[in-house]
Amino acid sequence: MRRVVGSNYATSHAVMRARVEVIAAYPITPQTQMVEHIAKFINDGIMDCEYINVESEHSAISAVIASQAAGVRSFTSTASQGLALMHELLFSAGGLRLPIVMGVVNRSVGSTGGIWVEYNDSMPQRDCGWLQMYVETNQEVHDMILQAYKIAEDKRVLLPIMICSDGFILSHTVEPVELAEQEEVDGFLPKYEARHSYLDPKDPIASGIVTPREYRQEFAYQIHRAMLEAKDVIGEVNRDFADKFGRDHSGLIETEFVEDAEVILLTLGTVTSTARGVVRELRKKGKKAGLVKVRAFRPYPAERIAEVCKDARAVGVYDRSVSFGVGGPHYLEVRNALFDSDVPVIDFIGGLGGRDVAEADVRSMYDVLLEAAKTGKAKRNIEWVNTRGVVLG
Amino acid sequence: MRLKLKDLPEENIFSSGHTACAGCGAAMAIRNIAKVLGKEIIIYVPASCLSVFNGLFPSCAWTVPYHHTVFENTGAAISGLSRAMKRKGLDNVTVVGIAGDGGTADIGLQALSGAAERNEDVIYICYDNEAYMNTGVQRSGSTPHGASTTTTPVGKLMKGKQDFKKDVPLIMMAHSVPYVATASVSFPLDLINKVKKAKETKGFRYLQVYAPCVPGWGYEQSKTVELGKLAVECGMWFLLECENGQLKINREPKMKNLETYLKMQGRFRHMDEKQIAELQESIERKWEFYKGYADLTQRLYSGSEASV
Amino acid sequence: MKEIILHGRGGQGAVLAAQALASAAVFEDKYAMAFPHFGAERRGAPVAAFARIAEGRILTKAHIYKPDYVIVLDPWLAGLVDVAKGMEGHEGTSGGVPMGSVKTDICQGLNKKGAAVLNTARPPDEVRLSLEVCVGTVDATTIALETLGHPATNSCMLGAFAKTTEEVSIGSIEKGIMDVFGERLGEGIAERNVKAAKLGFERTEVGMCSGGREFPAQKKWLPDVDELPPGCAIRSQDTEYGKLGPGSTVQNETGSWRTFHPIVDDEKCTYCMLCWFHCPDGCIGRVPDKESVSVDYFYCKGCGICSEVCPVDAITMVREVEG
Ligand SMILES: Cc1ncc(C[n+]2csc(CCOP(=O)(O)OP(=O)(O)O)c2C)c(N)n1
Ligand code: SF4
Ligand code: SF4
Ligand SMILES: [Mg+2]
Repeated sequence: MRRVVGSNYATSHAVMRARVEVIAAYPITPQTQMVEHIAKFINDGIMDCEYINVESEHSAISAVIASQAAGVRSFTSTASQGLALMHELLFSAGGLRLPIVMGVVNRSVGSTGGIWVEYNDSMPQRDCGWLQMYVETNQEVHDMILQAYKIAEDKRVLLPIMICSDGFILSHTVEPVELAEQEEVDGFLPKYEARHSYLDPKDPIASGIVTPREYRQEFAYQIHRAMLEAKDVIGEVNRDFADKFGRDHSGLIETEFVEDAEVILLTLGTVTSTARGVVRELRKKGKKAGLVKVRAFRPYPAERIAEVCKDARAVGVYDRSVSFGVGGPHYLEVRNALFDSDVPVIDFIGGLGGRDVAEADVRSMYDVLLEAAKTGKAKRNIEWVNTRGVVLG
Repeated sequence: MRLKLKDLPEENIFSSGHTACAGCGAAMAIRNIAKVLGKEIIIYVPASCLSVFNGLFPSCAWTVPYHHTVFENTGAAISGLSRAMKRKGLDNVTVVGIAGDGGTADIGLQALSGAAERNEDVIYICYDNEAYMNTGVQRSGSTPHGASTTTTPVGKLMKGKQDFKKDVPLIMMAHSVPYVATASVSFPLDLINKVKKAKETKGFRYLQVYAPCVPGWGYEQSKTVELGKLAVECGMWFLLECENGQLKINREPKMKNLETYLKMQGRFRHMDEKQIAELQESIERKWEFYKGYADLTQRLYSGSEASV
Repeated sequence: MKEIILHGRGGQGAVLAAQALASAAVFEDKYAMAFPHFGAERRGAPVAAFARIAEGRILTKAHIYKPDYVIVLDPWLAGLVDVAKGMEGHEGTSGGVPMGSVKTDICQGLNKKGAAVLNTARPPDEVRLSLEVCVGTVDATTIALETLGHPATNSCMLGAFAKTTEEVSIGSIEKGIMDVFGERLGEGIAERNVKAAKLGFERTEVGMCSGGREFPAQKKWLPDVDELPPGCAIRSQDTEYGKLGPGSTVQNETGSWRTFHPIVDDEKCTYCMLCWFHCPDGCIGRVPDKESVSVDYFYCKGCGICSEVCPVDAITMVREVEG
């Protein structure tokens, strides 16, 4: 069914279709509507699920870790301060290898940040053992919630996953979304069968018992390996989804005009859409510009990025958060991916605290890249876009 | 029918070979509580002495399903477990959280309150050893007035904890949950029958069990039971039970021998007459309060099982 | 550089002793360090602490694998106590953390020219270890019970160490104890510990022990990455390394922690079940035929609660003797 909805609705609908059995979540702008929609579905009797009206995000994640450990498909969602409050438990979910799906509606966290989009909530969580995927449209949010369960529950993966969507830009923007029917989803996503972690007195398991140092390193290695294997799984699930639903989100990354591109910009999230327009415009003008939408941040598709960027003469990275004193976290990933290339790599930090990233901003990034391609080197590696008193390029 | 000691099974749910200190009151409480609860249970344990002495990976003293994540989330974790059991159709399974007093009175109070407000179908047991023992005896909200801990040490200026013990059972009664009780390892029949009653009740059940700690309190390890008895005698701990709003006092304290109780323990040894008098006054006030509370709630709720 | 491992039990003060030893060495203008095994052990459980003493700065921060000296605060740990009684039917292997009881070879890695300082009532020539090596022996438990009233043998064993190895003087040990124990436990207690150290120094006998004793190899489950259950969700299972998962602590021989053990008088016992209830370790068994109770010495930590709660004095606590 095609309806014009925001991403919070799209997510809630997908969660219902995924036959999630336990949900615990707590309201926070811009995710709030998600907890409201789900509560309405349940109270209207169209969704059959245990809904725990917890008193905090810390409790939300604690409860879904417990229910998932008990062997039941579970969901939570949050944003910003809420995600920061969950931080402690994110390690537990990863460590216990629980395929929980969480909708993260990105919003800046901490003082001098407001309620608008920034990735300084999700980026600091990248080492907790969760997969992280960033999306661009409301349709993609909906589709990725469905894919997320299939990716996370794959026995090669068994890790929790965050589907990160831009606060307001997606959550409070309505666009047409094809909302999946139950039969379609049932044909794609099988019922969850807990094989490694379940709690049943008939076959007792100790889950999460304190682990001495003799074992920790091997468990950590297992997570690392599962994360690497997830790269294949993300691709496979995408193809399976595309076959069944006719919508291909192209797995780890999606590219535009990269084959002969001299300059390539790597984006995350909704800035991609704006950049798509700018790239087309540049192509019309005969500029060899390309674009890569990075969808998976954990695991990071370093090999794919290296492959795509191998003939480029300048590579730009868009960052919606900062690792202070260094640069953007995304930039660091790309530098790592391109470690044996001498192409200039330039970080563009911008859009913090929900500051709009307009066509002009994206154009200015490409201008800097085109200049670097010409000279063969970057004037500066870390650029701040549209920042008063800071000159770009 | 009231349980007798002979009714408890020989078989352990909480196995021997656990690594609690010799004479540990918490271990004494937990292994017996588990026997009353039986095998159809799921246990959640937050960070605490118990989370260590119940074995480290890959060993485990629990013979029943066990879950552990962090320190302050017992109320939330047991909520998740209980809902999961409902989804799995395992209605006969009782979900039980067992937390220390720090994990209950301090850092876990919020999650506990939330779970109680939702009247989750779980049993929450707090074993009260009156300090953070796992991290080496720091003060908790449940540490009594005057007690010396490593964060309320005996100094030249101040000696021991200046504040008074937080009354978590009373806080739980204020949540109007179906069952709140206090018990002690030193009163076996009272303890096991409260556990039995908790097991037979639906909804949120809270039980706080007094559990002396040998190194934390600084006493001779064979005296765990004697100390527990003295505590109830002198009014440092009350045996209470609040069912559907009605408070009952299970044992009248004599309200004497406070000094005998204090002098047996290293943590109180420094207390002077003034401090002891302050403490005595506070427990007497508490006792008056509970008597009045019991009278009042007996009148208010007698005969009414519903609408607490 | 001299490296020292102290084996003890939680509560005996191995870590404090290591620190006092380091302090003693520093009083002699040496460089020293002391560190615990960073465990989460409760009272009574086997613990280790480490100390290093050198003329100049010590760089390594690693554990000690080849000690010059070992100090053993508890006779059980050196395998000097045999607990035959009540052990039938128990398998004392350990799934994960070794309980390190009678099965530990304290001479593992020990420098042949070094020494073992042991808490035992036996003279050196009656001690048999895996290695023929210099030993200093002293009945530290008795000294500790006399001077401190409880079996914290750490200070006494420092005296024995000074006597056996001559690495530090007894005078420096006394200063070290006053410095470290004084800060933590107060001056009065520190002074009593100094007394225990002096007595330890005086009563220690030094000589050679006999060697060749065999200790069964510690079986420990240390699987490769692929064999570990993902997310550490572990079910109950029996392996060649012993039990794993739910219920597996039954193989932990906590009986090796005790200094005293209970003896039940069947004649007096009225079968009231109070000891059965109050034993924190589940060591009391019902014996319906005799209408009495039994003690499982494999687990009994010797707390003495059973004896205290018995209303008819049917249980007495008896000091453990070296078998
Ligand atoms: C968030 C967090 N803060 C601190 C700790 C350290 N910690 C672990 S257990 C504990 C004290 C536990 O005290 P209590 O709940 O009374 O249990 P007890 O150890 O006394 O049995 C503390 C402070 C932790 N694990 N997590
Ligand atoms: S420290 Fe106290 S509560 Fe913890 S195991 Fe020891 S006696 Fe029990
Ligand atoms: S001394 Fe008694 S109460 Fe203590 S562990 Fe041994 S049998 Fe149990
Ligand atoms: Mg405590």
